[in-house]
Amino acid sequence: MKDKNFDKIRESAEEILESFAEISEGLPSQEETYYEQDTLSVLRSDGKPSSKKDLEEFRKNFLKNMPDRDEEGNLKVEVAEWAK
Amino acid sequence: MGEMNTLQKVEAIKSGELSTTENIEDKLETIEERDGEINAFIETNEDVLERAKEIDRKIERGEEVGKLAGLGIGIKSNINTKGLQATCASKTLEGYVSAYDAVVVERIREEDGIILGMNNMDEFACGSSGETSAFGPTKNPSAEDRIPGGSSSGGAAAVASGMCDLALGSDTGGSIRNPASHCGVVGLKPTYGLVPRQGLVDLSMSFDQIGPLSTDVSGAALLTEAIAGLNENESAMFDLESVNYLGEVEVALDGLKIGVSSKFRELTDPEIMDPIDEAVDYLRDQGAELVEVDLPNLEKAMPTFYLILSVEFFSATRKFDGRKYGRKIEEVCGEEVLRRIVRGKYISRKEFKGKYYQRALQIRTLIKKELTEALKKADVLVGPTVPKLPHELGEDISPGEMYAYDYLTVPANLGGLCAGVLPFGKVDGIPVGLQVQGPSLGEASVLNVMKALEKR
Repeated sequence: MKDKNFDKIRESAEEILESFAEISEGLPSQEETYYEQDTLSVLRSDGKPSSKKDLEEFRKNFLKNMPDRDEEGNLKVEVAEWAK
Repeated sequence: MGEMNTLQKVEAIKSGELSTTENIEDKLETIEERDGEINAFIETNEDVLERAKEIDRKIERGEEVGKLAGLGIGIKSNINTKGLQATCASKTLEGYVSAYDAVVVERIREEDGIILGMNNMDEFACGSSGETSAFGPTKNPSAEDRIPGGSSSGGAAAVASGMCDLALGSDTGGSIRNPASHCGVVGLKPTYGLVPRQGLVDLSMSFDQIGPLSTDVSGAALLTEAIAGLNENESAMFDLESVNYLGEVEVALDGLKIGVSSKFRELTDPEIMDPIDEAVDYLRDQGAELVEVDLPNLEKAMPTFYLILSVEFFSATRKFDGRKYGRKIEEVCGEEVLRRIVRGKYISRKEFKGKYYQRALQIRTLIKKELTEALKKADVLVGPTVPKLPHELGEDISPGEMYAYDYLTVPANLGGLCAGVLPFGKVDGIPVGLQVQGPSLGEASVLNVMKALEKR
């Protein structure tokens, strides 16, 4: 992070904005498009409960991704700086 | 067996002429031989031969098998695949093992496809060259010393080199089509909302779409059929249960209206236009009608796209804060990812909202309208995929030069169109991909034209 040139990156962000401002000049106002396809108010169905095997597998994979754990397999968390 | 297309291979597997185990062993051998140099896979799946034998046993017992039976498939590393790492080719997610399958991966498994592993890619799909992966660049097996294109670099290179039958990529502004063009394979970006995105790590949620890479058109049609259709948990999908392209992919060009635009030529290096012109002439000779379409603001798509993408990417990456997993993205990511985050943060400032972001969403509407109008006059638009040849691997190019690769692919993402790429000739020994763009849900027409050109 320290060796990355933030000023240069910020400059390139400004360049993109400037080039966008240039190309958009004079174009007519339009409605805004957020999504090409939008189905609102989707209600999720309950689905089938996971099998015991799937749950075990999920736990195994989930534990692999824990930041850290103790000898008994419990999740170890870092205390936030503001709580110290 | 080398002469078979993907569909014929599945038929050979189903009939017992070729066993799944033989096919998968062949893929594993190719990976062993070639991936050390090409670097198309970040991780390979260990249980593939066991799974291959299961499918062979099913076939021997006369049980029905799925439409992808016995095919070896690579998955882009930003698509969650249970038990394998979804790193997005970034140090931020290094070692992250997916605890669940993305909906598309579930569907591949249900259709008896075999997941060979996780393909390399540009970090967080931020790149058009295949060089920004934290796990090293991917080489182009079809053009020595040139970039493979990106961001689905590993998938395209793996298909081109015979390491897998098919690959799943994601396309936000051309990330399937660009590497397909440079590596000389077939790629398809389906219409936004046709294929479920649940389980895909977002780059830009209003553009991202998962799609296939294949050696031939039948493979792209087959994999799209397998993964497309409504997922009830998503709010931006078409209400379609399934699609059928294989039945509809018949070569019938007579009377088909092929749209061409002078803007394609204006934005493209002349040498690339030679094979494209040849393809257009061939289509006309086969009975298609050529229609000139007007796309007055096509070149404005690229800056508009990058502005919207930066805002959405900044938002999408806020969860990579190093608290739940790994390290904070800004601390370990590469320069292009950082550039997009910083830019997105800058543009997201309140005072810029109306001036830039909302304005970009308006120009998105304008470009969509122009493309929709063009596709009322023509059934499909035919033109180049990438406006210039791929640069040499490791060559230092500016961000602007890198973004210029996307001039002709981002309009389809802005307009919600579908678009396919087919290898069509070479320039200086480097493959050139022809792009066929169709209207929303126009995949059958796009595949039809691609199939006709493939047969030539």
